[in-house]
Amino acid sequence: MSAAAEPFESIRAAASADPFVHPALFYGSEREYLAGTVSFVRAGLAAGDPVAVAVPGENLALIRDGLGADADAVRLMDMREAGRNPGRIIPGVLRAFADAQPPGRRVRIIGEPIWAGRSDTEYPACVQHEALINAAFTGRTVSILCPYDTRRLAPRVIADAYATHPTVVHAGSGPETYSGVYDPDDVVARYNEPLPPAPHVPALAFDADALAHARHTATDLAARLGLSGMRLQDLALVTAELTTNSVVHGGGSGTLRVWAEDGHVLCEVHDKGRLTDPLAGRRPAPREQRGGRGLLMVNLVADLVRLHTDADGTTVRCWFAC
Amino acid sequence: MGIHNQVRSDVVDATPELTVSPLAERSGLRMAGEVGLATRGVWERALEQVVDGDGDVYYLELSSVTFVDVAGAGALACAAQRLPDGRRMVLHRPPPVLRRVLETFWPELSAIEVSMS
Repeated sequence: MSAAAEPFESIRAAASADPFVHPALFYGSEREYLAGTVSFVRAGLAAGDPVAVAVPGENLALIRDGLGADADAVRLMDMREAGRNPGRIIPGVLRAFADAQPPGRRVRIIGEPIWAGRSDTEYPACVQHEALINAAFTGRTVSILCPYDTRRLAPRVIADAYATHPTVVHAGSGPETYSGVYDPDDVVARYNEPLPPAPHVPALAFDADALAHARHTATDLAARLGLSGMRLQDLALVTAELTTNSVVHGGGSGTLRVWAEDGHVLCEVHDKGRLTDPLAGRRPAPREQRGGRGLLMVNLVADLVRLHTDADGTTVRCWFAC
Repeated sequence: MGIHNQVRSDVVDATPELTVSPLAERSGLRMAGEVGLATRGVWERALEQVVDGDGDVYYLELSSVTFVDVAGAGALACAAQRLPDGRRMVLHRPPPVLRRVLETFWPELSAIEVSMS
């Protein structure tokens, strides 16, 4: 009996197996970090697979040293720069690398988007990003290993990592195991939190006829608040894209606020629409595609994007470092 | 400090405009104004002229264009991709925001050349 059942079981396993692999790597020391990451990179290089590492700068240096001469064959990125805005990581780091590789090879990436210095303001965007990686890469022959520093990260961050990763590895102590509580959709919903209250700055109402005025007003104010050069251009672009989205997709009108906070200029657009696609703004657009890049541009240029959407409307808040 | 308009005040600004006129000295168009939702139609019709035009090089004089949104840049890239082999467009002094979007999404678009001189 068991001999007959076994092939059936393995076929079922094969049919349900997603080629996408997304483990969390829990590490509690430098030694564990290197053991977990360098072995992942070396396995990829040995198989002839393309490998990228996007982790905070100090960890990038550890991995580079650990790899020695092999580091030359790996794409190395400082996640503090490339992934400062968590909403940028899927289109601008992970898919930017994976989509550029030749077909037929497993693409391997180490991505560490959550480090101890991430603020409470950034964290909901970080954990939603981790959850959305799964939807973004389902069906792809890609492995993304996400290290978590168990010494420095809060217990709820580690608990969330079990919900955003189908499997987990404890560096230095045993094989990859099922998370047991994997539920990325719940994480996306749970961290769809109302934004912290904005300070008492007046809101500018806009509709289709006032889009240019809204952008001019926001840009003038941001300049007075200390934004300049390309960052000011970026704020103008972000304001244009968000307000135009409100007019075209969000009920035809909205409100805009701009203010300064902790060395940043913030711009926020609220409208009555509801954003139902959690991957909006996180899919790279093929060059032939004509439209649909507005939210993607917002994610690529802002230092942080937080979004709250429900039946009452959608609020998008963007941070620009001065 | 915040935005001091409590209510919509579009009377402050005239309707955003984009004007298009042919260049006298060579094959091309001079544009002035802003490219956004309100002026996208004017912009896209001008780009149709570029695609339908003749001559190997088509100039777009953009030094008086102060803003182009992402959809406007997309329409430009789309027009450039429809140019037959050997034809190209030269953007003269495009606004920085347009270069930013083109470099982000279409970095290898050989049919678009930027001239800042």
